[in-house]
Amino acid sequence: MKKSKDKSVRYSKSGKGISRRGFLKGAGLTTVGTVALTGGILSDVHAEERTNREVLGPDAVVISLKINGRVRSLAVEPRTTLASALRDHLGLTGTKIGCDRGACSACTVWLDGKPVNSCLTLAVEAVGKEITTIEGLGSEENLHPVQEAFIEHDASQCGFCTPAMVMTAAHFLKHNPNPDLEEVKVALRGNFCRCGTHPNVFKATIAASKKM
Amino acid sequence: MDKKKIKFPYGIPGHNLSEVEREIPADEPPAWPVNEKLKYVGKPVKRYDALAKVTGRARFTADVRLPGMLFAKFLRSDTPHAKITRIDIRRAERIPGVYAIHIIKDIDGNYPDVKYAGQAIAAVAASSLEIATEAVKKIRVDYDYKPFVVDVEEAMKPDAPVVFEKEIEAKEDAGDVGVTYEGTKASGNLRGPTTSSFYGGPRGDLDKGFKEADMILEHTYRTQVQTHVPLETHGMVVDWKPDLVTVYASTQNTKNFRDEIADYFEIPRSQVRVISEFTGGGFGAKHSAGIYGPVAAILSKKTKRPVWLMLDRKEEHISAGNRPNSIHYLRIGVKKSGELTAIKQVSHGTAGVGLGAGVGRIVQAMYQCPNFTTAQYDVLTHAGPGAPWRAPGNVQGAFGLEQAVDEIAYKLRKDPLDYRDIIDKSEIRKLERERGAELFDWDKRKAPGSDKGVLKKGMGVAQSTWPRFVHLDSTAEVRLLNGGGIEIRSAVQDIGTGTKTILAQVVAEELGVPIDDVNVLIGDTFFPNGPPSGGSVVTGSITPAVRNAAYKAKMQLLEQVAGKWKSDVSNLRIADGIITDSKDSSKSMTFGDALKGMRTGQIIAVASRSDDYGGFKQEWGLAYGDLGSVQFAEVTVDTETGFVKVDRIVAAHSCGRPINTAQVKSQINGGVIQGMSYALYEYRAMDKETGMMMNTGVDNYKMPFAMEIPDIDIVLIEDYGGRSSTDAYGIGEPANIATAAAIANAVYNAIGVRIYELPLTPDKILKALKKI
Amino acid sequence: MHKFSWYEAGSVEDALAKVNATVSEIVGRKPNNSSVVFKAGGVDLMDLMKEGLVNPETIVSIKSIPGLDKIEYDDKAGLRIGANATLGEIENNEIIKEKYLALHQAVAEAGTAQLRNSATLGGNLAQRTRCWYFRSIHHVCFRKGSGVCYAQHGENEFHAIINNSKCASVHASSVSTALMAFKAKVVIMDSEGKKKEVEIGDFFVHPETDEKRENILKANELITEVVIPPVTTGTKSHYIKYVARESHDWALADVAVTLEMTGGKCRRAEIVIGAAAPVPLRLDEPAKALEGHSINEKLAKKAGDIAMRNATPLAKNAYKIPVFRAIIKRAILKAV
Repeated sequence: MKKSKDKSVRYSKSGKGISRRGFLKGAGLTTVGTVALTGGILSDVHAEERTNREVLGPDAVVISLKINGRVRSLAVEPRTTLASALRDHLGLTGTKIGCDRGACSACTVWLDGKPVNSCLTLAVEAVGKEITTIEGLGSEENLHPVQEAFIEHDASQCGFCTPAMVMTAAHFLKHNPNPDLEEVKVALRGNFCRCGTHPNVFKATIAASKKM
Repeated sequence: MDKKKIKFPYGIPGHNLSEVEREIPADEPPAWPVNEKLKYVGKPVKRYDALAKVTGRARFTADVRLPGMLFAKFLRSDTPHAKITRIDIRRAERIPGVYAIHIIKDIDGNYPDVKYAGQAIAAVAASSLEIATEAVKKIRVDYDYKPFVVDVEEAMKPDAPVVFEKEIEAKEDAGDVGVTYEGTKASGNLRGPTTSSFYGGPRGDLDKGFKEADMILEHTYRTQVQTHVPLETHGMVVDWKPDLVTVYASTQNTKNFRDEIADYFEIPRSQVRVISEFTGGGFGAKHSAGIYGPVAAILSKKTKRPVWLMLDRKEEHISAGNRPNSIHYLRIGVKKSGELTAIKQVSHGTAGVGLGAGVGRIVQAMYQCPNFTTAQYDVLTHAGPGAPWRAPGNVQGAFGLEQAVDEIAYKLRKDPLDYRDIIDKSEIRKLERERGAELFDWDKRKAPGSDKGVLKKGMGVAQSTWPRFVHLDSTAEVRLLNGGGIEIRSAVQDIGTGTKTILAQVVAEELGVPIDDVNVLIGDTFFPNGPPSGGSVVTGSITPAVRNAAYKAKMQLLEQVAGKWKSDVSNLRIADGIITDSKDSSKSMTFGDALKGMRTGQIIAVASRSDDYGGFKQEWGLAYGDLGSVQFAEVTVDTETGFVKVDRIVAAHSCGRPINTAQVKSQINGGVIQGMSYALYEYRAMDKETGMMMNTGVDNYKMPFAMEIPDIDIVLIEDYGGRSSTDAYGIGEPANIATAAAIANAVYNAIGVRIYELPLTPDKILKALKKI
Repeated sequence: MHKFSWYEAGSVEDALAKVNATVSEIVGRKPNNSSVVFKAGGVDLMDLMKEGLVNPETIVSIKSIPGLDKIEYDDKAGLRIGANATLGEIENNEIIKEKYLALHQAVAEAGTAQLRNSATLGGNLAQRTRCWYFRSIHHVCFRKGSGVCYAQHGENEFHAIINNSKCASVHASSVSTALMAFKAKVVIMDSEGKKKEVEIGDFFVHPETDEKRENILKANELITEVVIPPVTTGTKSHYIKYVARESHDWALADVAVTLEMTGGKCRRAEIVIGAAAPVPLRLDEPAKALEGHSINEKLAKKAGDIAMRNATPLAKNAYKIPVFRAIIKRAILKAV
């Protein structure tokens, strides 16, 4: 996330007619000339770093994952999902499995700062990326404002969807610090809650935005 | 037992509040005033376990990881009806990492016949879930295929394939003591009919009633099968040790779960410990250990390792419960004045291979009508078994009844609210209608179908009744620890309803201590029996028990303090954690210091739910009176595309003395949203040709997400009755009953055509509008 | 999921040298089948694998290929979107929002935000149908070679209403509905390094042509990018996805419209609908009805009516006809 932003800014110095706002979003385009912006350069760097291309598996291989700022080594098969690596191998069970098909988003984690379904991501694919889970969002002593607001507004019932709901809301507020109700609904629309806690989740998200 | 007479608040504040005198057991606490005068009770106190939930620390059953733990996976049938002729597990056994395979057999050692697609046949325990899943695929099952039927109307035909040749017995149903079915009367796939409930049997003379009627309304209402979809699926982790079987279970009934496991293995119940720290939703489906409970235990026993067995989403949809569908016929006689003269009710529904597909008691109980009969049939089909679901039967029943009443009101040219004033004698619902209508702006309602343009708005109302159930086997222990510490212990579980929080509130209120000083240890059968989280019984059952226990413990502590102060215990007061003597202002001590000065290491007091005050003996768990609700819905219907959007709901409810207003409102939100989902989106799609459920995901089994959520406003009415030391009742089920009917009535108001079948999909709307 | 080996390709050539099968070719094949297939975002492949429908022996990740995720725009050449660009990146691209509104709308409505951060454009085009009979391991349907389409007399509420007599599945990519309206071309490279550009309408394969595949890709081919011609300043577009629930859902019906407007009149129109037939459908006659006229409600309605003239709905999906009529009309009016 940070890297690509730097790169975009760097590029913008030589570009013409480039919208700075677009660049900061990491997805801008210039209308003049042909410019690549969405990660090509970063991919090159990544490619250079990797030397020995080899086929991994099918049995377990040792990989390192950077999770919540800490590098953790673990042995996984290529078929091991990131969700399973977190939950079964590393004991980080705040990330839940709800549908195991990317439809309920209970498994939401951030990969390089973006929310993804860890049930549809392989652990081997997450190598070299920054993984953030609910355990790394805030500590019990130092809660993230979204966590505080969720407590304040009773935004959990059974609580099974809550960690992912918090992760999604926290990511959203980074990019939209002052949302209205409709924007909050759009942002959270991928996360399933069967208890029907949504009204309080919306309230909490808006309340958190005011604290951030 | 010694008794004492005390006065309790009675009635509704701001409406008709008075007092009532009750004779109560002498060791129970004095009456609380109305909520306004209390510190913790009746307040939106923060959820006890909210911190654990928002940080991901909350450990659900699916999250339990024990040393050496194995993962188990079921093999399930891929055919709806068959005799199993052979099972070959040799290829599965050879896979490295496979520890044990259990093949399910009946009591005679035979493979049970397959009765629905997705029935469990065997289970594998392996070192990882991936390996267990792989091994399951390697088990070969040979079937002798048989004809099947999954459609309720097909199953009712005389030549339909029969699901059970023998009579089956209604299994014990911990979810709802009110659904009555007489399952043993059999004919083909029909069971029943049930003709009575605890409200009694048929009443009056139906023929006479219809003769007196000026108008007769007659319709058949249809509802669909709905699956529970708790986000955490059913499952458990079993750690079998010879002297103690520890079970971590995703359950709404720890005690029942323990009993089922112990009884299955014929071991003392004291040798089974069920722990449910957090349960990821249940909604009625998680009362039993089911088949997965014993299977996981067998695998753990066999392998001498802990075994994790959670269902996957598909298994959950197919095999772990559903709200049965209904074909609900109503014939209602009405006088010009609006009075009801007769109601004839006949229903058929399928709970698949299970029973319990009635339409509840709501038609029998809600309105004044002297002549009434019901005949509720179960229809067996080759489909997954039903399970209780928030107000079993009554949600289906309400969809028919409340549309019928709405239709009668329109036919009589009466406002549906005014019309209910004629036929509904409930005081609380009358008030809910008034306050709800005001908040909702009911007066802005227009004539049916009168909106011009493509988008038509409509308003509708529906109401519900739910009995006040309580569960006498509800016990709580309060412990005061020398040196500091207040603990509540009970086996009662918190499935997201907020049980932990309300227990802490009640005890903090009773002891006069800060709520953060109270520790709640529940969801463990090592503690005294708690009620099931079903029938909306928890709050009404466990809060009086815990208050009474806290009172007893407090009195023991105060006796000791009074002894030291040479005062009388009746002079002592506790507020904000300070004990004072009302007769001697020089005497003061913190609650903490009192704990430090205790003569013994601890004070333990235990109390159970007693009968309702006022001489009402509990029968079938039934307590005084009923819980009313009135819900209002506003919808927008796109008449070109058939798309229905619920814009707004106003839900007016009562639950006696609300203990935690925030949590009560959360549950009402949940009931409304699930009701909306039932009204518009959900249904189980069964393929008739192959007998399989097709929409087993979260993407294709449609349920609402954020964008679908309407604005929900709640009217919560305190309603005191002096019935127990807390006078509180639950809200989970009442919140879910009226929503779908209110939405259906709003859709009628929008488009001017009534739809008698759920869910209200674009297909049905467009057909009603004759666009197809 | 069955065990598989994993390889991260360094280049398109590297990837093509390794791969020996398309995902479609291995549907229903038992494990240990020596197959080597591509994976990009993996949203669809993972789903197929978890269902047990495909069991590749080796997966070649193409996400690791540098430069395959570029989004480039040039007034003359138009828009080029690398196959590895995620839907999330496309959604957030300001130029696309400005010039190719219908594409932006289609992408923004595809799946959830979480999925869009993983799903790539190439994967979206190559994904398999969501027909629940196809997705069921227990149903050997027409697309799996049995000749039996269970949807014909089964649970067909989400199925096709046009060209549906043999197989009633609908293509799952709603993004392609918009791409087709912009006359996108799919750039495909083969293992010999040859590139070809294929009109997106020719990319999809109807089941009556070949029931086992939904696109023309062969085992030795890879989508490298999608090229979209530049749009004239007068070009307007709009996309509507009609769903059971707005939060996120597979389309019950969707439509993309592009209109080239000059002097208040429609010079050229493209109307494409999805979830109507096994492949996205370009509606020539309804589009012609608009050309040369100024757009009004009557005309827009006419286009919708013409579009549904030849529909052959199944027992449970006739509702799609009025829905398509309505959304075609609305998309045309919104586009103007």
